[in-house]
Amino acid sequence: MSSFWKDTARDVRLMKRGWRWGHRAQVPRSAEPFVPPATTTVFDNEWSRRPAARAVREVAQTGLEAVFRSQVKTQVEGLDVLERLDGPVIFVANHASHLDTPLILLSLPDEWRRRTAVAAAADYFFDTWWRAVGSSLVFNTLPIDRRGGALATQPGEVLAEGWSLVVFPEGTRSKDGTVGRFRSGAAYLATEYGVPVVPIAHRGTYAAMPRGMNWPGKDRSGGRRQLTVRFGEPLHPAAGESVREFAPRIRSAVSRLLDEDATDWYASMRRAAEDRTPDPAGEEIAEWRKVWAATESPDPEPDKIRAWRR
Amino acid sequence: MTRPGFVLEVDDRTPPLLVHEGLGFRLEEFPQGTRVIYPPESLPTVPDVEGAIRESLENPVDSEPLRELMFPGMRLTIAFDDLSLPLPSMKAPDIRGRIIEQVLTIAAEKGVDDVEIVAALALHRRMTDAEMRHIVGERVFRSFAPSGKLYNHDAEDRANLEHMGQTEKGEDVEINKRAATSDLLVYVNVNLVAMDGGHKSVGIGLASYKSIKHHHNAKTMVHSRSFMDHKHSEMHSSAWRMGRLIGEHVKVFQIETTLDNEVFGKPYDTLLKREWEWSLRDQATVLGLRRGLAVAPQKMRHKMFHDLRSNYGLTGITAGAVEPVHELTVQRVHQQQRVKVEGQSDVMVMGVPFLGPYNVNSTMNPILAACMGLGYYFNSYLRQPVVREGGVAILYHPLDEGFNTLTHPSYVDFYEEVLADTTDPALIGPKFEEQFATDPWYVHLYRTSNAYHGVHPFYMWYWIAHALDHLGDVIWVGGNPRAAARMGFRSASTLRDALEMASSTVGPSPSITYLRNPPHLLADVR
Repeated sequence: MSSFWKDTARDVRLMKRGWRWGHRAQVPRSAEPFVPPATTTVFDNEWSRRPAARAVREVAQTGLEAVFRSQVKTQVEGLDVLERLDGPVIFVANHASHLDTPLILLSLPDEWRRRTAVAAAADYFFDTWWRAVGSSLVFNTLPIDRRGGALATQPGEVLAEGWSLVVFPEGTRSKDGTVGRFRSGAAYLATEYGVPVVPIAHRGTYAAMPRGMNWPGKDRSGGRRQLTVRFGEPLHPAAGESVREFAPRIRSAVSRLLDEDATDWYASMRRAAEDRTPDPAGEEIAEWRKVWAATESPDPEPDKIRAWRR
Repeated sequence: MTRPGFVLEVDDRTPPLLVHEGLGFRLEEFPQGTRVIYPPESLPTVPDVEGAIRESLENPVDSEPLRELMFPGMRLTIAFDDLSLPLPSMKAPDIRGRIIEQVLTIAAEKGVDDVEIVAALALHRRMTDAEMRHIVGERVFRSFAPSGKLYNHDAEDRANLEHMGQTEKGEDVEINKRAATSDLLVYVNVNLVAMDGGHKSVGIGLASYKSIKHHHNAKTMVHSRSFMDHKHSEMHSSAWRMGRLIGEHVKVFQIETTLDNEVFGKPYDTLLKREWEWSLRDQATVLGLRRGLAVAPQKMRHKMFHDLRSNYGLTGITAGAVEPVHELTVQRVHQQQRVKVEGQSDVMVMGVPFLGPYNVNSTMNPILAACMGLGYYFNSYLRQPVVREGGVAILYHPLDEGFNTLTHPSYVDFYEEVLADTTDPALIGPKFEEQFATDPWYVHLYRTSNAYHGVHPFYMWYWIAHALDHLGDVIWVGGNPRAAARMGFRSASTLRDALEMASSTVGPSPSITYLRNPPHLLADVR
């Protein structure tokens, strides 16, 4: 009988390793073209914006913040722009890691954080009830269909109810740390509902926890990784400006903020004026070089003299 | 949406893969770079089966409608494939029963009184009443069996065999007399794999040993490339010559059906899924099954698997003249099972499951296991074998089920006497075949009991002749060493050991291809 239990333990270990228990399942590379389209089962989470869920979220985010701060260092700049706004707004940010959402939410002043929802891929965060409940309770996620399908709750309705929205227009986390193409959903929502867009640029989340990791890593000396996040001036769609014209403006604003975060405000403004802002999509170089560069955490340079700090 | 078959390349993301081994299965971690051939998913099935049957009988290919071929006072014989098809047996109602019912409905309307129904089992064992009833359905069984009008073909009943002549190559064509002397012979087929059907149905299914021996021999089998492509198969060429001769004497109305790939019903349907798509429930099912099978006694494991009925759905039905009907059938089978594979490999891996055509409700003895792996699976290719000439076949099967003396009596003597003397298919034929084929006791058991014909184990060995001729080595993972050695093979405990043993033939870093079946697949090797 002991061999039975030994074999059972071996089988369990084999399956645990093979099917990555506790992690998302992976598809062999050669089988990727044959993966069926994701199921359209999306769990509605309208309940998650009601008072009871908000109370639970407050507790959950307090705990989350303690864990988050224990694992990474953060530097937040530019929050003063929110003092000049009443909300709701659409926060638009680059997307490199699962750390992006907690970084942005926990950087916001409490009164903003409590009224901010996060647009999340329905096929990823809402495919099972437990993932839907978990992400809704902790992050106040709102399911978005990446393939453009209709969902029970539309982002516009949430904006109309006074909730701000965090949107990652790239639609997915960066594979190499660079910034990808922006889809026009955020620009559409801003134009359609007359809401300003607050661009956000952050750096360091890819270095701390890229795709494939589910817990932040440490730096070479075993210390917490540095993350930086920078909020930019709100953008309003100009009169008569189409979605197609507005969307690139949002991306340019995020690009300039990234440039500012890496250098300084004035230099980035000069480059922007001369249309020389570095493209965050990166140059045409080998992928490993992009990944290499992105795995370096930003240096906050606390002693650097800037024109002014917000 | 049916996903096509494809060739997986094992990488660091690939979970362990399922490998069948007799009354069980294992999860195997294949070396990275191993190619794994996955069959296509099930094609859409016919939504209205009764309507499709009716349509095929009313609008046959190159033939008058069945109704017009019938007339009062005629002799009508209906023949059907025996229990070797499909595998596993279908959940009731079996498609053959549904077709026979409609044929009989037309015959009744046309006033046909003289009807007999014959199970075309060639030299296979007689079916029991329960097995026969499962195939034809209760209605047909009750109407015909009690009066002896529904029966198993008897290839040794000299009084009821008709010699119809010889083909241009001198092959004797001798088939069931009732079928040969009928005004109309309706054949109801299940075309599970591409080698079934066509002229093989009547030409072999209703034939005698005298006729069958012309193509069921080592020489013909070695020169059949492949059995799944009847235009390049010596065995099929012979059957086609015979079939055409039969067609000159009796009108044959062929009804061929094709099935999807739903081989297992619940709870075994998980075994058909691609491993990386297993849900937690699937994983729990597999784990539970594996652990359950580990403690279950052999009898219980046998019952667990052999009580299983498949969920096959009908993907198509065509009726009419044999050859054009079969062309359409083969197209559908290819559509369901064909997978394009680029080039051959040094090593071919196959998991031999609990069931083959010749052990339905019986045991998979070592000879049948060899036939299933090196006969059916090895030959399941188009153009060229999956493994290169001189390569190695690695098979999984415990080779420990022993022999069922009710169904396979001559296999015991074949194993103990013939294989102890030689395993060379070319030698065993001339030396031993006649003795087994004409042994009065085996003939008696074949005719009156439920035993395969005395010559049947020879055919199993001829079946693997092409593989033995082609391969450099054959290794059984988990196989009983004595049984493997008796058959001229080697055994290993693990895949790693097997690859180590194979390295003397194919080197230390061979290319490996694993055939992930069931479900059924047909490797189109370019």
